[in-house]
Amino acid sequence: MENQSYRRFGFLLGIVWLIFCLFPIWWVVVTAFKPPIAVSQGATYIPFVDFTPTLQAFRDAIAGLRGDFAGPIVSSLLISVTATGLAVFLGAMAAYALVRFEFRIRLLAGLVFGIVSIGGFALLNQTFSVRVPYALAIVLVTALPLSVWLNSLRLPGPVLKNDDVTFWFVSQRMFPPIVSAFALFLLYAEMNKVGVRLLDSFPGMVLAYTAFGLPFAVWLMRDFFTNVPIEVEEAAMVDDIGRLRIFFQIVLPMSKPGLVATSMIILAFIWNEFLFALLLTSSKWQTLPILLAGQNSSRGDEWWAISVAALISILPMIVVALFLGRMMRSGFLAGSIK
Amino acid sequence: MGDATKQERVKHVFIWPAFLLVLLITLFPLIYALVVSFQSIRIVPPLPPRYVGVDNYLEILGSARFWGGMQVTSVIVFASVALQYAFGFAMALTLHHNIAGASLYRVAFLLPMFLAPVCVALIARMLFHPVLGPVNELFSAFGLEHIPFLTTPSLAIATLIVIETWQWTPFVVLLMLAGLQGLPSEVFEAARVDNIPAWRRFRDLTFPMLLPLSVAVIFIRLIEGFKIIDTVFVLTGGGPGTSTETLTLFAYNEGFKKFNIGMTSALSFVFLFVVIIFGTVYLAASQRLMRRYQ
Repeated sequence: MENQSYRRFGFLLGIVWLIFCLFPIWWVVVTAFKPPIAVSQGATYIPFVDFTPTLQAFRDAIAGLRGDFAGPIVSSLLISVTATGLAVFLGAMAAYALVRFEFRIRLLAGLVFGIVSIGGFALLNQTFSVRVPYALAIVLVTALPLSVWLNSLRLPGPVLKNDDVTFWFVSQRMFPPIVSAFALFLLYAEMNKVGVRLLDSFPGMVLAYTAFGLPFAVWLMRDFFTNVPIEVEEAAMVDDIGRLRIFFQIVLPMSKPGLVATSMIILAFIWNEFLFALLLTSSKWQTLPILLAGQNSSRGDEWWAISVAALISILPMIVVALFLGRMMRSGFLAGSIK
Repeated sequence: MGDATKQERVKHVFIWPAFLLVLLITLFPLIYALVVSFQSIRIVPPLPPRYVGVDNYLEILGSARFWGGMQVTSVIVFASVALQYAFGFAMALTLHHNIAGASLYRVAFLLPMFLAPVCVALIARMLFHPVLGPVNELFSAFGLEHIPFLTTPSLAIATLIVIETWQWTPFVVLLMLAGLQGLPSEVFEAARVDNIPAWRRFRDLTFPMLLPLSVAVIFIRLIEGFKIIDTVFVLTGGGPGTSTETLTLFAYNEGFKKFNIGMTSALSFVFLFVVIIFGTVYLAASQRLMRRYQ
């Protein structure tokens, strides 16, 4: 009896939420087919009943009548696919190392690294007026070997283990992105002054987004690798097959579902990312979200054009959601929440 | 022995590329930004950088706009995360008990989370249009015509909360559902056999068992929520005036409209500090809460 009423309540909640969820998406889809009159005379909902659908907005967009769509789409595709590939690849490697090997990092060595790099940079840049990129490079090549060497000594103080290293990666994502985005903008601007063009460029954006996606990749892939049975690898090691070959020929193929799911999630993040693109691009490599944000002021009430633009950005994500929805049913996410 | 150390050494090949990239792209620029935050640098008009100590930081802490941004961001984040958690948990419970058509729902429920916030804000601008939008039509049915949703400060913030809830409840559903699926079913069957009513099963079993996950989910959403800029950027641009300006948007405006570089750097570090403090307090508080339940 009681169960029945809960069930009914749940069903009702589901329906209401479904409408709430899908209405905005329905709206943007139908609006893309609306003629101007169907917009300016109040809200209309159902094609053929409320208004006569037209493909004019799509034709305008393809003809490039209302600004360049193709450019940002191509940039977005190139940047997000390349950066996703790199992030998943590097992240998977790091995650594998964190699952299968033991790391011991002395906190003191890490602190020395931080102090030497910040102090050294301030000194070089302020006192000796070394240009920013050079100062940073000098600091890096001094501080990094120094702390690696210090790490091999028996220093006192706490020792950080694998979980702490994982946390270090993931904690990059807890930063407000404006902190790293703005810092990166400053650095890229300085690099431009010494002749390395990173602002509004393909390498600059790919680097930024790879670093942006890496923490997710490390976090998600770590769980997938934990579930790969170690026996297979041990058997391969007995046959004296190198660790790198084991990784590329055995472990990676075995965790293919994980790799695909991780790639999808990271692709979605990068495809939709706004702040980095806003700060780091100006014209040539502007991505789709930046173009969309501009629609608002440049289009005003041309809702059909805005909707077409929005749809272009939404469509690939619908594919991603469908795919992940199917994976979710098979319970693949149960592992990553531990 | 030699083999073992060789095996060990290969771990560096695996981890260093990722480590170096994060170091170079995410952390090293921070060093420069930190130095800049103690300087007065303006691009327009171009003045030579001047060391000003903590002036930038003091100016931020004394600025009404900063505290306004704090307030706007906090209201949006706390209100929307509370709603996301409540609706998300309820939806996860519903889906977990396999109501009719659950598999169709799953995809539909996931969708909002994968749309670009910029897109969502564009759609919302149409929906909440005071004359031509469907929300206006809905409210008109109750006799409330032409409500200026986006140009009244409090309504604009309410609209932002609705949008955030719409977009991010799926994230809560996704993780809470995964958590529910991982719970041991024997306990619940035993409770059902003992005729323990459903709401008590929830209060005494489901909720406490999922508390650690809830803490983590809320934490992620709060931290992510604090970053909000894109939705606001498109929906209201921070207006009217600066009444819906969030912290990130404020930092962006200082840097790219006023070209006040030192100030923006300082602001981003203040923001970082706020997030760290908040995160620490939250985690400490939730530890205590969890201990009480165990």
